[in-house]
Amino acid sequence: MTTVLDRPVRPVVARLRRDRRRWAWALGAAAVLLWSLAGAGLFTGDVVNPGGTAQFGRFAAAALSPALDAGFLGLLASSALVTVAYAVLGTALALALGAVGAVLVSRTTWGRRRLGWLLSRGVLAVPRGLHEAVWGLLLVNVLGLDPWVGILAIGIPYGAVTAKVFADLVDEVPRGAHSALLAAGAGRASATLYGLLPPAAGGLLSYSAYRLECAVRSAVVLGMVGAGGLGYQLSLSFASLRWEQVWSCVYALSLLCLAADVAGRAVRRRLAAPPPGPGRDPVLTGAVVVPLLLVAWSWWYLAVSPASLVSARTAEQLAHVLGAAWPPATDGALLGSLGALAVDTVQMSVIAIAVAALGAVLLAGAAARPPGRLSPARRVGGAVVRTVLLLLRAVPPPVWALVLLFVLLPGVLPGALALGVYTLGVLGRLTAEAVEELDPRPRAALAALGARPVGAWLYGVLPGAAGPVLAYALYRWEVAIRDTVLVGLLGAGGLGALLASEIAAFDWAAVTTVLAAIVVLTLLVDLVSDRARSVMR
Amino acid sequence: MSTRRAARSGVLRSQSPLPPFSRRSLLAGAGVVLAAALPGCGRSSPVSQSASGSAGPLRIGAIPDQDPEVLQRLYGTVADSMSAALDLDVEYRPVTDYGAAVSLFRTGDLDLVWFGGLTGVQARLQTPGAEPVAQRDIDERFTSVFVVNAATGLTPSDDLAPLAPLRFTYGSETSTSGRLMPAYFLREAGVDPQGFPGGPGFSGSHDATLQLVASGSYQAGVLNKQVWTSRSEEGSVDPSVVLHTETPPYHDYHWLLGPRAAERLGVDDLGGRLIDYFTGLSAGDPADAEVLELFGAGSFIPTEVANYDQIEEIGRDLGLVS
Amino acid sequence: MRYGGTTALAGVDLTVGPGERVALVGASGAGKSTLLELANGSVTPTAGSVRVLDADPSARSGRAGRRLRARIGTVHQHLELVGSLRVVHNVNAGRLGTWPAARAAWSLLRPQGVPDVVAALERVGLADRAFERTERLSGGQRQRVAIARLLVQQPDLVLADEPASALDPALADRALALLGDLARDRGGTLVAALHDPGLVLRHCDRVVGLADGRVVLDRPAAGLSPADLADLYEAPA
Repeated sequence: MTTVLDRPVRPVVARLRRDRRRWAWALGAAAVLLWSLAGAGLFTGDVVNPGGTAQFGRFAAAALSPALDAGFLGLLASSALVTVAYAVLGTALALALGAVGAVLVSRTTWGRRRLGWLLSRGVLAVPRGLHEAVWGLLLVNVLGLDPWVGILAIGIPYGAVTAKVFADLVDEVPRGAHSALLAAGAGRASATLYGLLPPAAGGLLSYSAYRLECAVRSAVVLGMVGAGGLGYQLSLSFASLRWEQVWSCVYALSLLCLAADVAGRAVRRRLAAPPPGPGRDPVLTGAVVVPLLLVAWSWWYLAVSPASLVSARTAEQLAHVLGAAWPPATDGALLGSLGALAVDTVQMSVIAIAVAALGAVLLAGAAARPPGRLSPARRVGGAVVRTVLLLLRAVPPPVWALVLLFVLLPGVLPGALALGVYTLGVLGRLTAEAVEELDPRPRAALAALGARPVGAWLYGVLPGAAGPVLAYALYRWEVAIRDTVLVGLLGAGGLGALLASEIAAFDWAAVTTVLAAIVVLTLLVDLVSDRARSVMR
Repeated sequence: MSTRRAARSGVLRSQSPLPPFSRRSLLAGAGVVLAAALPGCGRSSPVSQSASGSAGPLRIGAIPDQDPEVLQRLYGTVADSMSAALDLDVEYRPVTDYGAAVSLFRTGDLDLVWFGGLTGVQARLQTPGAEPVAQRDIDERFTSVFVVNAATGLTPSDDLAPLAPLRFTYGSETSTSGRLMPAYFLREAGVDPQGFPGGPGFSGSHDATLQLVASGSYQAGVLNKQVWTSRSEEGSVDPSVVLHTETPPYHDYHWLLGPRAAERLGVDDLGGRLIDYFTGLSAGDPADAEVLELFGAGSFIPTEVANYDQIEEIGRDLGLVS
Repeated sequence: MRYGGTTALAGVDLTVGPGERVALVGASGAGKSTLLELANGSVTPTAGSVRVLDADPSARSGRAGRRLRARIGTVHQHLELVGSLRVVHNVNAGRLGTWPAARAAWSLLRPQGVPDVVAALERVGLADRAFERTERLSGGQRQRVAIARLLVQQPDLVLADEPASALDPALADRALALLGDLARDRGGTLVAALHDPGLVLRHCDRVVGLADGRVVLDRPAAGLSPADLADLYEAPA
């Protein structure tokens, strides 16, 4: 007996139609990856140098015996304070700039005036396209040894990124409430305040916490170019290859990142599920008061003085640098080399992102903290994976580049892998969070009908996680382009190496040209990744 | 009821996932910020100090080429010794980046800097009025050593030509002993200093060069003789690294004094007094001996601009001085 | 059965035989869903024991546990389909209990066993939507996809948690008939939590009423009137 569930029986049987655009993008991505791997010499010769395992082993072994003498730890503690102060003030500036910038670049503001929107986005690409370390080097030349160097070097590029992300978050809020308020006669500002900001608040806050963690890591990179703090200690220890001390710095940095992460997570949890009952929630009150106190303390600790921003000396140095940097160098040799080096940079970033995305997908399940009770083995495993991811992103890319160069032959690959493992640390965390936010029920339903864990993961987790992972990976691709500046020198090449050479030679006109090339490349990558993301949606 | 009224009366507030913050707590927060920020104006920063304003101390700095504690200890000791001898406040400022040290000298954040040969030239050309003060006895006859991985089978020789087909790394890009002079001597020997297979690497430091050559990732490299000797004496050089060639001598590190310090500190002939101080350091005096030992020097001797003409010329050839 | 401090089920003693079609009725929060979750092994009882198809569904782990669970098919209240997958994969997910992992993975790239899937979808009237993304379907269509998943799973025990909540009355009738057939064709059993007295009386042989986690009614459907059931749907005091 066969019951058929429908009124008119429709004999039409669907045929499998593949989405042509998606397939075109997927094939294109595979081709670009193969091209990049070929460019890295993976198919044409040796890339591994087994002779360097001893040197790499020394780096790895030192992880277990970090320098713990009292003098060095004291030095680390005071350096960590400087790093925290930079990160806090940099983030505060970035959030302030981001909030203002978001208004200027959101679709909500521009409505149907597409040209204005595109232009405002284009303007943001300039501060965003330059790495914090590059901003640091430029600002040192204008402001000298002033704490503003570190604050602005973090605040300006982060502000531009934050503006873009804030604008996207607000633009993605469903319009219902907002339109209803406008229809009821509310002004545009108050409609935004009541109809758009509250639904976006969770995302805005979570992103702010993420930025703070990034700022701690950036403050370390800035220390490496002379802004003091943990990065200064790290780069001194790194220059003399004292791996025990390098690891102590890395652990100190990991602790700071962890603190920022844990605090952000606690606040996010509270926002998602506020405790019942009246009265003020201590966690949320703390989330407002502690950052304010931290900003005040940082301002005091670094003795920041707004006067130095507008002093005569600053104006004089700014004029000096701008005078030397304009007009940009246009000699044929330089322009000719830009193209070839841009290719290296793109290949390096593609390999880095492929490595990071693959690793993130494989590790995300283990790193995520699903709700509910977990077996002890699963809990320990999750903690180990999360710690490894934390350390991967706490070791600065230049350090990765050197230690990977011990076991790989010079070329694009060591730099690409250095960026890859570093990005894996960042992407793995973002992916784990995306997995945590997935609906756990489909997977539980599959387990209930007897699916094995692999099957349940393939059908219940992967389809939902693939979207966010790819979106994050595409977003980090743009970041990886900028980060190639950090690993370029060690024989890895690319625009980063050229930029470092021109900065070392104080050829400001050429620096302008290379920076312009990097900004254009960042913008192109941004456009491509934006198209790719819209195809995935 | 208008939307605004509705909002004020709390009808819309329930949409917000954020709990309401009372005006009092916000005001209190702002007060705390102000209260904490105000005293900051009188505080000296752990990372810097505004270069404007009162005379302040003589600010000395150095490009980093030593271990962190050594560096901290080294310049703390020098600052104390110099302060006592000159009757001036002397303060050591840490800098980690070659380029940053040059820029900070130009901006006047650093008055007296221990530069390498090339960075000294860069700083002097960017800072009109800067003058070299003193160098160590060993800086007059500084050398670099080319090292190779033992697997290359190369034996010590005066001929640099066999290095040409090897993967080769310099140290830091603007290092005199790790980049500039070796590149010059390579060219003298008929080897293109940028023409190594895959392009030369820049390890970033003398120690990194040693390790990279030991690993075999780079088959050859070049570093400062002083570091080579000191690492060899410590026994920390991997046996797979062997010395290939030592370069002819050239001038390297020196103290460079900025043009604005004398006027700002109100000290006539600051340069002269510094020369007297440095050249007067004697190995016989225990305090002086400590300074000399930290610098790895027997004594300090005067120096002059002409000593670095060759470096400037080579720097221009390599596009490192503009 | 307790969740934290809340007791969801207490003192339930219920035996369902092969071939029976049992309706679970009761107000929201009465414990219907929990009883079904106990039966498919999704939750473990804090006290007492559960035996399904001659085994304890929560105690058996590994391969034996999977084999047992593959014989139990569940239509979940919230459907638990993966929105970003095509319909064909969501239906095929019913076979994950018997497919090796490699086949499961390959099927995501090249759908396997398509004729069976299409046949199942034909029975729920969705044959033309086989390759659509599931999230593009309406609530009622998704409910039918969940039933199609069961059709390819071929379970011996069918557990259904409000399987017709998003369907119009005519479709709801057919859906229940389909589930009943599915169980009966294989000599199996249907246990369904239902809200509509009409559906209960037309498609089930036996009615079990729950209130506050206890069994308050257990009678053959024949002889019950809709009015007898109305009390049970009232919210508990």
